[in-house]
Amino acid sequence: MSSHSTSTPLKMGIPIPNSKLGVWLFLGTEIMFFTAFIGAYTVLRFGSKGWPTDPNVTHLRVWAGGLNTFVLLASSYFVVVAHDAMTKKDFGKARKFLTWTFLAAVLFLGIKFYEYYGKITHDVLPSHIAETDEQAMNKVVREMSQTLDAELVSLMADEIPVDEKINYENLRGALTQELATANEERKTALSRFDTLYKLYFSLRDDVKAGSVNLHDVEHRLHDLKFAAIVTTTNGKVFSGAVQEPVKQKLNAAGKVIVKPDDPNFIKLKTKAKTLAIKKSEIKEETYLYKSLLAGIHDPHPILYGNLFASTYFLITGFHAIHVIVGMILFGIVLLQGSKLNAGWTNFIENSGLYWHFVDLVWIFLFPLLYII
Amino acid sequence: MSHDHPHVNYLLIFIALCVCTTLSVLFDIVNIESKFVLAVLVLAVATAKALFVLTFFMHLKFEGRWKYLLLTPTTVLACGLPLAMLPDIGMHYYVVANPQQTAYALEHPDEAATEGIKTDNHAPAHH
Repeated sequence: MSSHSTSTPLKMGIPIPNSKLGVWLFLGTEIMFFTAFIGAYTVLRFGSKGWPTDPNVTHLRVWAGGLNTFVLLASSYFVVVAHDAMTKKDFGKARKFLTWTFLAAVLFLGIKFYEYYGKITHDVLPSHIAETDEQAMNKVVREMSQTLDAELVSLMADEIPVDEKINYENLRGALTQELATANEERKTALSRFDTLYKLYFSLRDDVKAGSVNLHDVEHRLHDLKFAAIVTTTNGKVFSGAVQEPVKQKLNAAGKVIVKPDDPNFIKLKTKAKTLAIKKSEIKEETYLYKSLLAGIHDPHPILYGNLFASTYFLITGFHAIHVIVGMILFGIVLLQGSKLNAGWTNFIENSGLYWHFVDLVWIFLFPLLYII
Repeated sequence: MSHDHPHVNYLLIFIALCVCTTLSVLFDIVNIESKFVLAVLVLAVATAKALFVLTFFMHLKFEGRWKYLLLTPTTVLACGLPLAMLPDIGMHYYVVANPQQTAYALEHPDEAATEGIKTDNHAPAHH
């Protein structure tokens, strides 16, 4: 847009290019857009007594958020230097600093997705989180049911009628029938699975009856996950659940109140008692259900966890989308390569304005989500 | 459009921003007792950073008075909407009866007595 030096009697409008005014109006609406979400988060948090703040529960790491803040601030700095270079017609410098901006954006998204991955693996997702003990127990039962049904289907694949809805009771009946006639290897696999199913039923019925608490369910799930058959070098075979080694606990004065377990032994809880088996004497250690039950999350109820996850993913998700849009804008400029000329100055200035806004949002997000 | 504005030392502003960020992280590490004091300090630092970015990086220092015309309605709406929702959702002037509050009250019986938290989920709250 060229500026005419002919003076007109009536000067209308604001002395900036239309595109810049347009971007500022857009940023005005974006401010309202993000404050809606941040406002919702603030209001909901004020109204929720017991909002999760423990970093071990929320998996929010201040170092990751702080690093992201530095990365975005640096990218804002790079883009402003790039625009400065454009006004001075130093297009090489502008391209260099725009590349740095783009790379900083990529790094930001990388750290963000690393954080998201941590949350996904711990099932800290909206509508997935159990909030009370009862919900946590029901969740364990539900996850076990889904896992066992899927395994049943894969074990009894031959018995599944085509084009018909799967009837799990029939499949279980077919499994019991096959147990009698199966060969050695198949029989072992089927009988182990049958045992697991029976243990699951007893857990399910206990939870339904309300005769167990969360602690019991946690232990029973752990015992199922770590159910093992241990063969020692002198030919003895033990079957039970491998227990977690007890860690040393110190009181406030530094005195030992809980002695740690001997690291040379493993603890195996059998039906009768808990055995200590020397690790050097173990010939073979087979975990029966570890890989099958690996996907079942250990129960950790988080009060207001679902609201927390909802607001967290809403705010950071929309912010990440805005970062991606900014990357597209810079990508368009970088694609010009050496053809970048003075005509692109306004585009870069406006993209820079948008990018600074994205940085601004993160400047407020970081303390609100990570620190407070 | 050429901007005849004095040269801004962008690197200096960037360093100031980094110092502010470090300050925020320090406030978190130091473990301040009162949540309110922490919030005030950390949001003050955030506002300072935001002002740095707005005035220098976004060149608002050198733009005309139209910036106030644009930013005032957005600020009003940005503050107004959460304030409007605060009494209903943020501050409970009514008895709260949901599973989370019931579970919280069972774990913190001393707090439940002073606040209007119902520990009994069966009777609905009538007004």
